[in-house]
Amino acid sequence: MPGNDRTGRPNAATIAGKSKRVGLGLRLGEAGTAFLFLLPSLVIFAAFWFYPLAASIVLSLHLTDPRGRMTAFVGLENFRTVLTDPYFLESLKTTALFTLFTVPPTIGLALLAAFFTHVIRRGKGAVRWMFALPMAFSVGTASVVWGLLFNPSVGLLNALLGRFGLGPVFWLSEPGWALFSVSLVTVWLGFGFAYVVLLGGMATIPVEIEESARLDGAGLGTRFFRIVLPLVSPQLFFLAVVSVIGALQAFGQIHLLTQGGPMNATNVYVYNLYLEAFRNYRFGTASAMALLLFGLVLGLTLLQFRRLERRVHYR
Amino acid sequence: MPRLWSVLRVRRSLTLAGWAVLIAALVGCGAKPTGTSGDASSTGSGGAGAPASEAPTTGAADKKPIEIVWWHAMSGPLGEAVNALVDEFNKTHSDIQVKAVFQGNYDEELTKLKAALGTKNAPHLVQVYEIGSRFMLDSGAVEPMQTWIDRDHFDTSDFEENILGYYTFDGKLYSMPFNTSNPILYYNKNLFREAGLDPDKPPRTFEEVAAAAKKLTKDGRYGASFAIYGWFMEQFFANQGALLVNNGNGRDGLATESLLNDEAGVKTLTWWKGMIDDGSMLNLGRKTSDTQQAFAAGKVAMTLDSTAALRGILNAVGDKFEVGTGFLPRPADAKDGGVIIGGASLWMLKDKPEEEKKAAWEFIKFVVSPTMQALWHVKTGYFPVTKAAYDEAIVQENMQKYPQFKTAVDQLHATKLSRATQGAVIGVFPEARQITERAMEEALSGKKPIQAALDQAAKEITEKIQQYNRSIGK
Amino acid sequence: MTNAERLVVGTGLLALLGFVLFPIVFTVATSLMSPEEMLSGHPHLLPEQPTLANYARALAGAPLLRFIENSFLVSAAVTAGQLVTASLAAYAFVFLRFPGRTAFFFIVLATMMIPWEVTLIPNYLTMVRLDWLDTYQGLIVPFLAGAFGIFLLRQAFLQIPMEVVEAAKIDGASHFWTFARVVVPMARPGLLTLGAYTFLTTWNMYLWPLILTNDEAMRTVQIGVGMLMFQEFTEWNTVLAGIVIVLLPSVIALALGLRFLIGGLGAGALKG
Repeated sequence: MPGNDRTGRPNAATIAGKSKRVGLGLRLGEAGTAFLFLLPSLVIFAAFWFYPLAASIVLSLHLTDPRGRMTAFVGLENFRTVLTDPYFLESLKTTALFTLFTVPPTIGLALLAAFFTHVIRRGKGAVRWMFALPMAFSVGTASVVWGLLFNPSVGLLNALLGRFGLGPVFWLSEPGWALFSVSLVTVWLGFGFAYVVLLGGMATIPVEIEESARLDGAGLGTRFFRIVLPLVSPQLFFLAVVSVIGALQAFGQIHLLTQGGPMNATNVYVYNLYLEAFRNYRFGTASAMALLLFGLVLGLTLLQFRRLERRVHYR
Repeated sequence: MPRLWSVLRVRRSLTLAGWAVLIAALVGCGAKPTGTSGDASSTGSGGAGAPASEAPTTGAADKKPIEIVWWHAMSGPLGEAVNALVDEFNKTHSDIQVKAVFQGNYDEELTKLKAALGTKNAPHLVQVYEIGSRFMLDSGAVEPMQTWIDRDHFDTSDFEENILGYYTFDGKLYSMPFNTSNPILYYNKNLFREAGLDPDKPPRTFEEVAAAAKKLTKDGRYGASFAIYGWFMEQFFANQGALLVNNGNGRDGLATESLLNDEAGVKTLTWWKGMIDDGSMLNLGRKTSDTQQAFAAGKVAMTLDSTAALRGILNAVGDKFEVGTGFLPRPADAKDGGVIIGGASLWMLKDKPEEEKKAAWEFIKFVVSPTMQALWHVKTGYFPVTKAAYDEAIVQENMQKYPQFKTAVDQLHATKLSRATQGAVIGVFPEARQITERAMEEALSGKKPIQAALDQAAKEITEKIQQYNRSIGK
Repeated sequence: MTNAERLVVGTGLLALLGFVLFPIVFTVATSLMSPEEMLSGHPHLLPEQPTLANYARALAGAPLLRFIENSFLVSAAVTAGQLVTASLAAYAFVFLRFPGRTAFFFIVLATMMIPWEVTLIPNYLTMVRLDWLDTYQGLIVPFLAGAFGIFLLRQAFLQIPMEVVEAAKIDGASHFWTFARVVVPMARPGLLTLGAYTFLTTWNMYLWPLILTNDEAMRTVQIGVGMLMFQEFTEWNTVLAGIVIVLLPSVIALALGLRFLIGGLGAGALKG
């Protein structure tokens, strides 16, 4: 299996540079073909992502008025304001905790559910559909639904706990619980997608590999750890990267459920960014915040690629 | 190739050509219905899908009606009431057509307004929440309502002065009050009876509320639950005749300092925390929707909420118990005070042709006419802005149906207009409110002493106010 | 499977299904309750006196059916577009050699990390310049390509055995032919995952459609749900009914999409 040469590193043993006929009848080098294939995406990215990014770099160096217009060049002042904010470190810590509370549980639970679905023989279709259902919810609708469940006095969660003589839990108004509760919503919301991705990965495992393992008398545990887990590692890697990015940018559920409270317990970095941009309308500092976040996520993702992708098993 | 093809045959896969056709088809139907944007003539009242180029309904053959765009944040039953007003106007004014556009909640609407200011997509009229007033004043984009009042010799003597007060700066009315409310105490009369309290005499002072709450707390029920909402704090300040920011609440000059750590704040939180500490107050967090539900379910006997929530609360309660309403409580030894007007007002943007602004003014006059105010009040539960509206039959009928609403009107009229009850104007109001809420949480949970929590919050708000003042070049 | 294993799988599935389904059952059940019943003081899951009144109110409160039409059109177009652009780009990153490939991939990936907060206003102003407010292209075009999809399909394509692609090359097939006839069919699970994801994400967009459109005839479903919640007192049962109405089409789409995933996957598609 010529696997490792396709992880993005150049490989001398390939047929680079060889010309191929493309459908249009033009003769293009491989690089030219690649450019054509990438072109549609690049056009969209340039217009709707890179151009605003460039605009925000300019904004981050200026003072802005309440309408968001630039009024004076201030150099790196905005960055200094952000970095010396007394709540800056606290919000980074909350963000890290939120990531920890959401990414591993989402992927772990989805992996279990996908594997269980993978091995059962009856009812697969229905089970698959039910597990995928949270995908259909938006952050807004999920927050409405969970917000009602969380109500300490009339919500169903505490009514349920009450049956076992537990509670009441102040899900969103108790600082010790709030981050957990918001994370719970996030895990639920992200579960469906992680599940479908992993199930898709498991579906591509050739039947005969698992069949022969079964004939060899391998138990469920062995099948999971020896066959399924390594073979879905590309999907796990993908989920790890996108979930971390997603967690670092999640704010909708926080806005709708706790507004960063109580006592800043759920005040993640990007929520501050959202407020700075769209409530306080200080676009200079908001842009500086956004660029810092961008740098942070970029660094983390590069790290994940260097550390994790080596362990990914591609066929 | 055929060999490979047969080996890899896959049914039903979408080919590239198939995609291309699909996209072309879909993008193709994205062509705009008409040449210019925003000229659809439907009023937004559910006229979805109506052809945009429909001809004017009346026979004004050679004159196209002037179109006025009004952005608002009214959804649910409030949105229906807005559409009813607009429909009524459009029916009776063949030369002007108003198009009401829902733009999300107040924050989202303001974001969109900021993006659209200076482009031709800006509306003629926009509904802005009261705490956005300073921004509107500083934006340089608005036409004071007073300009049109003077030009048209429009008589405002019949308006509620307490409502006009909020939107009057330097003696000029800048925006037209539209939906106004203030907070009242809601209480469960049945639980009052059970606890041996007089159901027709709601507690008026901090002390009375605390005593009643204690009596009402039993069998897993709490005496009270107030949302940790900055608005309530602002109201408690006004109710004690105290200023929230300096320079006459930012009305005698630009505010430069927060006065949140004033005695009024300490008094309020000491009382509030006392009830939490003795177990008679349930802390449900920041959202009034949570306290509303707990109250409607009979889990708490008293709560604070806007007068505009009355109808919804009564519906949710049904005939489970009797709902009573009382004035916002204040300390027994409080100075003169009263409540501040909450809600939103209508602002006119100045970058529009004179003729269109005149049409927008016509619409505003229509909206604040007693008949329309009566209709608006009855449909939404917001106060009418003119006193004459109370003479309308539908309003009187409504008062009979919801006698609880009388409390709200009495409270409005009992309020003496002063700098304190006019309310604060600051550019960073939404942010200040959130800082206040954090301080309330810190103080109520005992994480910080009350004075320390308020000192810290006042310091932060002051910094933000000064930063704002710098950003507008002052 | 042994009996013990069966027990583990069975209980595991039930527990996980309970977690996933509970909020959904709650949503549907409570949308059938009157506000009075929901707040009766003894919280319960299933309605004692089911009523459809909330649905009537939700449909009266916002033109949800028109919004569903718009959302469907926009979501379908964005999904189709993303499948094309993402699979083309992923093919280039996996099967083609060109200078700076790794760097390029990271540049693409970097778009995922740009906080959307900084893009909203510039993109709005771009739309103003293009005169694309209140149009379908304004709702569709900015989302026709995404790093997320490219990354997802790259991972899927990396699992395709190289021999298959090599064989096509030896047969003298062009890259375009190999892409359309070999790689895309083999990566169907990945494409379906991306399709379902893109469709639902687009369906669930809120802020962009709200900012971009003024004409009610151009608005989408999440704005409709927003229209049911109001400032002073929200009737949650009506909102939940609205949520159910808005969920229905996507839930059906999901069922159909997943059927595709099951059908014929293990059997045939991957064996050459």
